[in-house]
Amino acid sequence: MTASFTDPNAALSPELAARDDMINCRGVKKWFGDFQALKGVDLTVKDREVMVVLGPSGSGKSTLIRCINRLEVHQEGDITVDGIELTNDLRNIDKIRSEVGMVFQQFNLFPHLTVLDNITLAPIWVRKKARVEAEATARALLERVGIPEQADKFPGQLSGGQQQRVAIARSLAMEPKIMLFDEPTSALDPEMISEVLDVMKGLADSGMTMVVVTHEMGFAREVADRLVFMEEGNVVEINEPGAFFTNPNSDRTKLFLSQIL
Amino acid sequence: MATAQVPQSSSAHAAQQRPPLWRDAGVLKWFAQIVALVLVVGTLWFLSTEAVDNLEAGGISPGTEWLNGPANIQLSEGIDTVPNSAGRALWSGMVTNLRLAVIGIILSTILGLAVGLARLSNNWLANKAASIFIETLRNIPVLVQILLWLTILTSIGALTPDRGPISGWLIISQKGVSGPRIFLADGFYQWAVLMGLAGVVTYFVRKSLNAKRDREGGTSQAGKATVAIMGVSAVVFWFINPIVGFLGTPLQAISDGWGGIPQPVMQAILSALAAGAAVNWIRRFLNSRRTPAGLAKLTDDDYFRMIFAGIAALLAVIVLWRWWPGLSSWIINSGSDFWQVAADKFGDGRGARPLDGMKPTVSEGRFANYGPTGWTLTVFAAALLFGLVFYTASFIAEIIRGGILAVAKGQTEAAAALGLSRSQALRKVILPQAFRIVMPPLGNQYLNITKNTSLAIAVGLSDVVQVGQSLANKNNQFLTVFAIWMLFYLACSLTISLIVNTINARLAIVER
Repeated sequence: MTASFTDPNAALSPELAARDDMINCRGVKKWFGDFQALKGVDLTVKDREVMVVLGPSGSGKSTLIRCINRLEVHQEGDITVDGIELTNDLRNIDKIRSEVGMVFQQFNLFPHLTVLDNITLAPIWVRKKARVEAEATARALLERVGIPEQADKFPGQLSGGQQQRVAIARSLAMEPKIMLFDEPTSALDPEMISEVLDVMKGLADSGMTMVVVTHEMGFAREVADRLVFMEEGNVVEINEPGAFFTNPNSDRTKLFLSQIL
Repeated sequence: MATAQVPQSSSAHAAQQRPPLWRDAGVLKWFAQIVALVLVVGTLWFLSTEAVDNLEAGGISPGTEWLNGPANIQLSEGIDTVPNSAGRALWSGMVTNLRLAVIGIILSTILGLAVGLARLSNNWLANKAASIFIETLRNIPVLVQILLWLTILTSIGALTPDRGPISGWLIISQKGVSGPRIFLADGFYQWAVLMGLAGVVTYFVRKSLNAKRDREGGTSQAGKATVAIMGVSAVVFWFINPIVGFLGTPLQAISDGWGGIPQPVMQAILSALAAGAAVNWIRRFLNSRRTPAGLAKLTDDDYFRMIFAGIAALLAVIVLWRWWPGLSSWIINSGSDFWQVAADKFGDGRGARPLDGMKPTVSEGRFANYGPTGWTLTVFAAALLFGLVFYTASFIAEIIRGGILAVAKGQTEAAAALGLSRSQALRKVILPQAFRIVMPPLGNQYLNITKNTSLAIAVGLSDVVQVGQSLANKNNQFLTVFAIWMLFYLACSLTISLIVNTINARLAIVER
């Protein structure tokens, strides 16, 4: 019974089950000094799936998604992204990073560049795109996240919600197959959260594969295909949203939900 | 209702009635400004007249006439070791300071950057070596380091005529290092003009290549094109530089025309410049206070600044006409001389080679010494330079490390997540931000190294302080010499500050 609801393929709808694997984690372990942040995580994200990762702070959610694009190096286990295995091979790391976009809690926009330059930097220098083309794409993306008029401002001149939307546009400019969101709304004022979540919903509707670490339960319930609950470096439960919120399998999940809902 | 009215009426009342003068912050502020000004000017006036009176009572009249008199001293090294006037001797000392400062700033920046990056490196050996470098050198006084270098360097073997390591080309001895000297020959100016033209061509080629990259993508060939054009030009123009010799005629005409400017006209031009600068400053100042809703309310401080700008311009004009008309004739004469020199450099298409060189020589007398032909770094200058560079580099290394560490870790992560390589992240994201943090403290180190060149006195090098002290002793002119020292170092420091502040303003990050 225990194995069934932490099985990486648990709670997959038949439609999702038929798709290719986009991210595969098997037995991923990670230590920070003598503290073990991940204790053998098994996880599968399907193509065009939206997976939301929940859990109390310190449970290893952020560490897990940061391992997926190698901002943190896992010490044991295998991570495969779109068929490419994440190893010490620099070529594989570059390939994976150019396929995986990431949005951070603190936005991490480049403060010395304008919004437009923030978005075009990687396409021009990594993808070797023409500036004219990259700028046209950037303006289209700003239109898509709803702030076309801010193109020539600097990040410091924007509100938090606007900055986070620029960060999303910046990631999308690299045309990633997968987007990772590390608590994208945690640093925002309440009235700005919805503008960022709306952009993320639009992205999910367009068929992007997404892994989202968040505390926004409304978003999780509405948008996620599957939810993952983590605690102390372990995956405790993988479930579809309906069952997760109404009838969770594990007692720990029940306790967590009772505290936050 | 009544409670709502009371605060309203009382605040309107307070705005109308001025407080008594001794409690009015606005009045007090102006009063303080005026008192401070009077105190400062008064103290300076008192001290200077007192000093002049006392010195004159002792038979010494402070002045500047003696600067034109004979120097009667010999300098250990410099542009002119046997100067024909005291002023020339001081100038020679200043050039020594400036050379040391410029070379010191360049070398300590390079060394500091390397050590700073090494201390951040994951390579254990580089990291520890950098730590030891910094912790040792910044904790030993710079004077001790300079003397230590002097001891080390003077323990090298004695100078003999056939001394090496490459006899006749590079000579190292306890007197210093001497190598071939390369200097500008007659053809240089023609060559420089042609290279300037090549530079303009390069600029436009680069622009079009970069524009092509922006249009079509890929990697710009601008770097390769620059090397190719400038390299080929340098070689070709080396041989054909006399073709621009015709420039001599127009330059001669400019020189003649410049020399023909009457002195009152030059005075009027300079006065107009001073007045224009003040008006322009005030106009820009007012513009900076302009908001979409109209002119913002000016504070007392703002008025004080504008009045001060006006007074400064007025003083400049008075000085130009009343006390220092010589300045105008000096500008006319030296301007004419400048164009005359330029015209001479281009006359009759002469000058085959832009650069020339000479091998070092060793003069044999009772003591062997380096001749004037080669490029020589004496042990004294070397000891001072090494001491200053190593000492300052240890501080610069820490500044660089601090600057890079101060750029948030998220910036590196965001760059990595976007797929930028480590060097791209460094060049495009980290360094532009680190540079902004590093610039002000780096400027401080540049000021320090410049001022510390006065430690030349410890190794007996003829810098402005040592020369000035000798001259002051001979002429009993300490007041003037101190003034010259202070003005010299002040001019150096203010120049560096100006450069650093300009760079800072350009790097400032826009927020709000």
